[in-house]
Amino acid sequence: MNQKKKRGNMSDWPHPLQEIIDEFKECFDRMERLELLFEYANKLPHELETKDWTDENRVRGCQSEAHVECTIDEKGGFQLHGAADANLVQGLIAILAIGVDGLPPSTVAKIKPDFVEEMDMKASLTPSRANGFMNMFEMIRQTAQKMSDER
Amino acid sequence: MGLDLDAIRADFPILSRMMEGGRPLVYLDNAATTQKPKQVIEAMNSYYENSNSNVHRAVHTLAGEATEGYESARTEIASYFGAPRDHLIFTSGTTEAINLVAYGWARANLSKGDVILTTEMEHHADIVPWQILSKERGIEIRYIPLERDTLTLDMDAFEIGVKDASLVCVVHTSNVLGVRNNVEQIIELSKTSGNHGKGAFVMIDAAQAAPHERINFIELGCDFMALSSHKMGGPTGIGGLFVKPEIMETMDPFISGGDMIETVTLEGSTFQKGPQKFEAGTPRIAEAFGWHAAVKWLSQLDMQVIHEHVSNLARKTAEKMSSIPGIKIYGRHDLNTCSGVVSFLHESIHAEDLAHLLDSGGFAVRTGHHCAQPLMEALGVSSTARVSFWLYNTEEESEAFIEHLTSIVQRFG
Repeated sequence: MNQKKKRGNMSDWPHPLQEIIDEFKECFDRMERLELLFEYANKLPHELETKDWTDENRVRGCQSEAHVECTIDEKGGFQLHGAADANLVQGLIAILAIGVDGLPPSTVAKIKPDFVEEMDMKASLTPSRANGFMNMFEMIRQTAQKMSDER
Repeated sequence: MGLDLDAIRADFPILSRMMEGGRPLVYLDNAATTQKPKQVIEAMNSYYENSNSNVHRAVHTLAGEATEGYESARTEIASYFGAPRDHLIFTSGTTEAINLVAYGWARANLSKGDVILTTEMEHHADIVPWQILSKERGIEIRYIPLERDTLTLDMDAFEIGVKDASLVCVVHTSNVLGVRNNVEQIIELSKTSGNHGKGAFVMIDAAQAAPHERINFIELGCDFMALSSHKMGGPTGIGGLFVKPEIMETMDPFISGGDMIETVTLEGSTFQKGPQKFEAGTPRIAEAFGWHAAVKWLSQLDMQVIHEHVSNLARKTAEKMSSIPGIKIYGRHDLNTCSGVVSFLHESIHAEDLAHLLDSGGFAVRTGHHCAQPLMEALGVSSTARVSFWLYNTEEESEAFIEHLTSIVQRFG
């Protein structure tokens, strides 16, 4: 079994994230995948308004400007708030935010960042952007772990 | 006579690469690094396959061949730039060359009260070493502003500013605007009016100029000239600092050990004379072979014809881009001295998004601050997208780029 197939196992991802991954897999080419990603950039479930962009919530290592914050909703579900000036980055934040929305923090803490590869978007992550994305992902994962530990 | 683009392109194996979706590669990131002709690749391979050895020390045959190749590279590259071989110090590139001026010359020859005059148009490599030195030695840095309407240096401010300057550091050709500064006038003014009439030293950053014009270091009349091999068809990892020998004698080494040593005792050391004094450790031997092959390859062509070809491509591309809704060009492409660089932004598509969308069509372009953040600030932006042409680019590639950019703007703008 090759690596890609293994990562594509349905049980690996929360259901909303798996749905998005499947949608990306249906795209014809990279241009279509970028177009879809840009559409997701407009579907942020919890947009962080520009006035709330601070140095504390800025994602380090991104060439473009990106900000994220994590909160817990009244039911104890995880919420990812974020935004970026580039659609590509905001699209990735949106997909992650949709994928983890309302999940228990302990589940969010276990998600792996490989979904970008699964969506065939790896070519769109330049080394600096990949670094920024990994910084963001790690920051979210650690916050979720902390939230889970505190409960 | 024009350029035989088919013959030129046949020398660059990478240009026949097909990208995702069977699209041909259109390489438009030449200001970052140029592609390499097969003659350069073969010269480096041949060195490793036949003559690989360290230089200057051993007596065996391979060492002799490596030393001969390394030193004849110095002779021929220096000659290409109109200078004798003892004027050229090999460095890792332009950045290290400028740092060598800062740490090797300025640290030994400038002190508190001296003024370094540079400009808003510089690459970070020509700003940061001076800032570090300024902090260490109390040397003052002054910046000549960019005229916001013409996107050229404010030469009136230069004429005033140069009077107090001990050292003038100016970029020959901007990596963002494509503007070629009037370096001849800058050097003339520096020598006649600089340092209160005693004449200022001048360092020219020629990284973006070397691929576009045949520079004669001696005729240019500056004291230091920094450049990189990889911007002119040569390999990465090597560049040079041209220095007049009488000035080289006043420089201290800033990296020490290995090849720059003459004798070492427990009490002290003596250094080699000339360029070797500044080439510590095992030098970049294969890279010197490669750079030599690049200048040999370029010598077959007329640099003026190359300049006209590249400049025309940039001008025509910029003109066509200006008519695409929402596109704004940053630079001067109406000047016949302009290089192959066209920086631009779209009013609603982020530069990085544009670069990815262009890449999906096989077009390699650059985005970011281009290591020129003060210039970005002067332009009132944080980054730009940039296409940059070189001698192998064609009108068809320019047209294909315009077509793809137009479709992106229609679809995403």
